Amino acid sequence: MRVIVGQGSCGIAAGAGKVYNALEKLMNDQDSFKLGITGCIGMCFLEPIVDIYEGEDLKARLVHVSENDADAIVNAVRNNDIASLSGLFIKDEDKSFLDQQTRIALRNCGIIDPTDINSYKARDGYKALEKVLKMTPEEVIEEVKTSGIGGRGGAGFPTWFKWNAARSSKGEEKYLICNADEGDPGAFMDRAVIESDPHNLIEGMLIGAYAIGAKEAIVYVRAEYPLAIIRLDNAIKQAKEAGLIGENILGSGFSCNIRYMAGAGAFVCGEETALIESLEGKRGMPRLKPPFPAVAGYKMKPSNINNVETFANIAWIINNGGEAFAAMGTEGSKGTKVFAVTGKVVRGGLVEIPMGQTLRHVIFDIAGGIRDGKQIKAVQMGGPSGGCIPERLLDTVIDYKALSATGAIMGSGGMVVMDENTCMVGMAKFFLDFTSKESCGKCVHCRIGTRRMLEILTNIVEGKGKEGDIELLEELCLSIKDGALCGLGQTAPNPVLTTIKYFRDEYEAHIKEHKCPSKECRDLLSYVINPDKCKGCTLCARKCPVQAISGETKQPHTIDQSKCIRCGQCIQGCKFDAISIE
Amino acid sequence: MSDIKITINGKECIGQSGETILKIAQDNGIFIPTLCHDDSVAHYGACGVCLVEGEGLPKLMRSCSTVAADGWVVSSETPRVLQARKVALELLMSDHDGDCKGPCSLTCPAGTDCMAYVKAISKGDYHEAVRIIKEKFPLPASIGHVCPHPCEDECRRQYVEQPISIAYLKRFAGMKDLEKDTWKPEVLADTGKKVAVIGGGPAGLTAAYFLKIKGHDVTIYDAMPQMGGMLRYGIPQYRLPKSVVDAEVEEIRALGVNMLNNVKVGKDITFEEIRKTHDATIIAIGAWTSSKVGCAGEDTEGVVGGIDFLRGIILGNPMDIGENVAIVGGGNTAMDACRSSVRLGAKKVYVIYRRTRNEMPADDEEISEAIEEGVEFKFLTNPAEIISENGHVKEVKLQVMELGEPDASGRRSPVPVEGKFEYIKVDTVIAAIGQKVNPDGFDVELNKKGIICADETTFRTNLEDVFAVGDATNKGAGIAIAAIGEANKAADVVDSYLNGEIIPYKKPFVSIRRDLEKVKAELSLREKAPRAVVPKRPAEERKNDFNDIVINLSEEDVMKEASRCLECGCHDYEDCKLIKCANCQEICPERLAGQYHPGFVEEKLVVIERNQNKCILCNLCVRVCDEVAGKGILGLVGRGFTTIIKPEFNDPAMIAGCKDCLKCAEACPTGSLKILTK
Repeated sequence: MRVIVGQGSCGIAAGAGKVYNALEKLMNDQDSFKLGITGCIGMCFLEPIVDIYEGEDLKARLVHVSENDADAIVNAVRNNDIASLSGLFIKDEDKSFLDQQTRIALRNCGIIDPTDINSYKARDGYKALEKVLKMTPEEVIEEVKTSGIGGRGGAGFPTWFKWNAARSSKGEEKYLICNADEGDPGAFMDRAVIESDPHNLIEGMLIGAYAIGAKEAIVYVRAEYPLAIIRLDNAIKQAKEAGLIGENILGSGFSCNIRYMAGAGAFVCGEETALIESLEGKRGMPRLKPPFPAVAGYKMKPSNINNVETFANIAWIINNGGEAFAAMGTEGSKGTKVFAVTGKVVRGGLVEIPMGQTLRHVIFDIAGGIRDGKQIKAVQMGGPSGGCIPERLLDTVIDYKALSATGAIMGSGGMVVMDENTCMVGMAKFFLDFTSKESCGKCVHCRIGTRRMLEILTNIVEGKGKEGDIELLEELCLSIKDGALCGLGQTAPNPVLTTIKYFRDEYEAHIKEHKCPSKECRDLLSYVINPDKCKGCTLCARKCPVQAISGETKQPHTIDQSKCIRCGQCIQGCKFDAISIE
Repeated sequence: MSDIKITINGKECIGQSGETILKIAQDNGIFIPTLCHDDSVAHYGACGVCLVEGEGLPKLMRSCSTVAADGWVVSSETPRVLQARKVALELLMSDHDGDCKGPCSLTCPAGTDCMAYVKAISKGDYHEAVRIIKEKFPLPASIGHVCPHPCEDECRRQYVEQPISIAYLKRFAGMKDLEKDTWKPEVLADTGKKVAVIGGGPAGLTAAYFLKIKGHDVTIYDAMPQMGGMLRYGIPQYRLPKSVVDAEVEEIRALGVNMLNNVKVGKDITFEEIRKTHDATIIAIGAWTSSKVGCAGEDTEGVVGGIDFLRGIILGNPMDIGENVAIVGGGNTAMDACRSSVRLGAKKVYVIYRRTRNEMPADDEEISEAIEEGVEFKFLTNPAEIISENGHVKEVKLQVMELGEPDASGRRSPVPVEGKFEYIKVDTVIAAIGQKVNPDGFDVELNKKGIICADETTFRTNLEDVFAVGDATNKGAGIAIAAIGEANKAADVVDSYLNGEIIPYKKPFVSIRRDLEKVKAELSLREKAPRAVVPKRPAEERKNDFNDIVINLSEEDVMKEASRCLECGCHDYEDCKLIKCANCQEICPERLAGQYHPGFVEEKLVVIERNQNKCILCNLCVRVCDEVAGKGILGLVGRGFTTIIKPEFNDPAMIAGCKDCLKCAEACPTGSLKILTK
C-alpha cells in the first residue's frame, strides 16, 4: 500500500507538511507500505488530503487530515483496516467535484509524484516527445492545428498559428518561452501544473521547441512560486539526466536546452513583450507590437511564447490526436479549460472541464453553489483584465466568444464567485487598485488613467462620489482601452465597465444616496441599536474601542455616529441581536 | 526600400516602405502631435498623443512606431483619436505639478510677462525689460507709476517674506529706457487698411500701438487737448508726472500713429463719418462722468465729481475748494482727490467712507500716505445730507454706520446705526464714488447701465466694424491695466478682422500648480531677503507741491530687488511641447484632478536641475542618455503612478560623467530639466 500526501502549496499551507512528517515519524522499518507525495489534486477546500493506494487503486481519500490523525492512519494501514478511517473519508458530494471534471492539462495532478520522472513516465510521460521526434515539425504544427487549441493565457489565439509564425520566421536562432508569470489575483492553475506535473510542462515545451525550431526554451516563472521553482528545477535536472533535454535528444538529432528564470513579481511581466524585456534583464515594460515576438522577440530573435496550461495540453494532444481534443468544446473553443474557482463557493479549487459547459454548471454543480445559503451576485472572470458576469447571465457557455460578449473574458482561468454581500463598486476598486499599482508606468493612459479611475472609485465607496462620476469613469474606460500601450492597460477598465454595465444601480446608490446596498463599504454604513431589543447590558459599550456607545445600565444604548469607526466589535459582542447595520 | 502611398488626414502622402506613419506625415508636412518621440532615438510609444485611426483597422495606432503599409488611409483627427488624445493630455496635465507662468503674469489683466522683465531688470537690461513689457502694452513707465499691481498681490515671494516690488521695477525700467535709445518695435509694411481709435487713453493708445505695428493706418480721435486720457487727466502729477505720459505718447506717435486732439465725436465729427472713412473702429472712450453722492443736496454748489476735480488741476484751473474739504469714497480716486486737496492748501481734509480701512479698495500705501499728509478718515460714516448756506455747501450730515453681514463681494456691508449722526463743516464735497460712461454720439448697443456692450472674446459691438474696449464697455470703469489688456487682445482680433476672418480671443491653457500649501511649504524654506522699500519724500515736504513723491532707488538696489524673483513660471514655456499639445484642442484637466506623482527638485546632474514635478515620464532623457550619449546614467525607478526617473544607482562618478553633454535637457519636451549654466 502507498500512503500519499498531497503536497501542493495549498496542501502545505493547510498543514500537509506536518501530516507527512507525523506519518514519517510513526513509520518503522517493518512497515510494508510506502509513504509518498503528490501534487495538488485541486480540492483546496478539503486540504490536507491523504490518499491510500493499493497498487494503482485508490482505496481511500482522507480529507481535512491533521497530524493528530497520523496514528490512526498508520495503524489502519498496518492492520489493513482502512474502514476504521471512515471518519476522514471524502464525502460523496465532494467526490463529485472531481467526478464531473475532464482532466487533460491536470491529468496527472494529485496522482503522480511530481519529484519523480518515473512516476510521470509511468503515465505515458515523454511518449509524445518520442512520437514527435519521428514527425516533421510541420506535421506537429498540423496536429496542433487539428486540435484547435488556443492560448490558455487568456486570449485564446490559435497556438498552431503562433508556432507556425515562429517557425516561418527567418533566422537560425529561435526561442521558445513559457509564460509562468501567473499574476491574476485568485488564479493558481499554472502553479498547480508546475508543482504537480512539471514534466508535462517540459514535454510540451520540448514539442513546441521542436515544432518552431528552437534550441533554447525558457520558463519565466514568478519568484512567488518557490515550490514550483524547486520542482521545475528538479524536473529539468531529471530530464537532462534522462537525455530528454540537451544535445541530440533521444538520438533524434534535435537539441534543446531548457532553463528557467524567476521573475521578480511584476504583474505586467505576464504581458509577453514585457516578459521578454524582463528576460533580457531590462525593466519589465511592454514593447510596441509590431514587431511581434514571432518575428523579433527575445534578443530580437524569433520567439514563441505560450502559457503553462497550453503546454500542459500538448503531450496529450500528440498522444491522443488533435481530433480527440477538438471533439471536446464548442465550435470556436476546443478542448478543456482549467479554472481556479474561488470566492463564496462551497467547494473552491481547480476545475477542468470541456469548453461549452455553462458557468452555472461550474459554480453550482461542481463547486456546490454559494456558501451559507446566500445568493450569488456575479462571477469575475479573467482577474483584473476580465469582467464580471451577473447571475442572470450564468447560463453563458464557456467559450471565448460567448464570454467576451458579456464584457468579461475567458482569461487565464480565474473565476471569483461573489455573493449578495459583495459590493460591486468595491470589487471594481479592488481590481483598479491592483492594476494601477501594477502598471509599469510607461504609457500615460495606464499610468495616470488607472490612478484617476482608482481615485474616483475610492471617492465613491467613501461616500464622496459626485454626480457625473459614472459617466466620467465610462469615458476614461473607453479612452484608456483605446490609448493604453499594452494588454494590461487596455483591459484594466474591464472590471469597471462590466460592473457599471450590470450594477449601475449600485454605483448610483453610493453616489446619490450615500448607501452601499451590499453593506460592505465601511464609510457608508451606520451601526444602529434597536431599543426594543437592547437590554442595556453595556457589553457593546465596553467593547467599543472609541467610546461611541453610551447609555445607562439596563436602558437601551445608542451609538454616536460621528464617533463610530464601524469596526463591528459591538455587533459581534451583542447577545441580543440588537445591533444592525444600515 | 520602395515607395508606398498612404493617405493621412485626407492628403495623399508618399513614403518609403518601412517608414512609420509619423515619419511619412512629417515628411509630407502634416503635423501629428507627439511628446515622447524624437528621431534621434528608437520609438517608445509612451505618451499616447500621436495616435491615429486607420480605416478598417480595429485599434488606434501609435503613429510614432507603426510602420505604414501601402494604401492605408489614416487620420490623426477622427473623433475617436481626438477623444483618446484629449484624455491623454488631460491625464498628463492633471499630474503636471508645475506653473507655466508665474501667478504675477497670470494675474496681470494684460498678461505681462512679469517674471521675464523682472529677470532682465535683475541683470540691468532695462532695454530688454521694456521690450518684454511692450509685447503687451506701450506704456511701461506710465503704468509703472500708477498701476495698483494685482501682480504683487499674487506674488509667491510673499510666502517667503514679501512680494517683489514689481510695479516699481517696471517704472524704473520704463524711465531708464526713456532716457536714451528707447526700445522701438518693428512696424510691418502698410496694409492699406484704416483703423480709427476713439479715445487716446491707455486702452486707445495700446490698441493704436499694436494695430500700427501690424501695418495698419491708425488715427486716434480724442476729445481732450492732449493724449493720455485718464493717465493724464485722472491721475495727479505727484503720482505720475505728465512728462512721462508725454514721452510715451510721443514714442507711439513716432511709429506713425495719427493723433487728433480736441475732436469730440458727436460734436466735431460724427460717429458715422468715422466709420465711413475707416475699415474698423475701436471705441475706447473711457468713463468720464462722475457718479453723484446720492443724498439730499448732492447738486449743491461746492459739490464736485472726483475726476472733474482732478482734471481741473491738470488743466491748470483748479476749483476753489476753500479750507475744509470732504471726499466721499474709498477708492484710489478718493485718495487722489484728498491728497490733491491737501496740496491745493485745504486746512482740513476728510475722507468719508462707509466701511472701515480694511474694506477700502484703495491701495493701503496710498491710505497711509494720505494719513501722513494729514487727511482725516471718517470711517463708518455716510453722507445723509449735504446742507447748504446761501446756495453753497456748508455742512455734511453723516449717518454713522456699523458693519453687518458680508455681502456678495465678501465685504461686510455697512448698516446705518439708527438715529446716530455726525456733522462736519466743509466748503467742498468731492464725490469719488464711481464713474459712468457717457456714450452720447455713439449709435451702438448699450447695456442696462448705459455702458457699451462688447463681446467678451471679439470685443465687437453690435456693429460689424466697430469694437469697444476699456472702461466704456460691459462692466464699466476698472483699472488702467485691465483696459490695456482688452485693447491688446482686441488689436489682434481687429487685425484678424481686417485680414478677412475674425479670430476671437482665446485664453491660452496653462498649467497651474493646484496645491498652494505644498508651494508654501517649499517656499518657507527659502532664505529671506526683504522687499526693497521705495522711499518717499517726507510728508511735510511733499504735501506742499505736486512734484513726484517717490525718491528713486539706486540701480544696485533695483537689480537686487529684481533678483528676489523666485521665477515661479517655467523657463521652458516658449518651447514646451506639452503646453503646445495641451493647446491643440479643448481640454479640461480639472475634472481629473487628483494626486500628483511624487516629485521633487534636485540638482544631482551637475549642471542640470531636474524638477520631477513636471516630468511626464516620456523617458526621452533616459533614452537619449543611453542611445545618443552612450552613457546610460538615468533610469526609471518604481512602478506605475509613482515611477520616477533617477540617476542609476545614484553613483557620483557616473553622474559626474554627464557634465558637458546636456543632451537630456535638450531632449526634454517639458520644463522638467533645466540647464543651470552653459
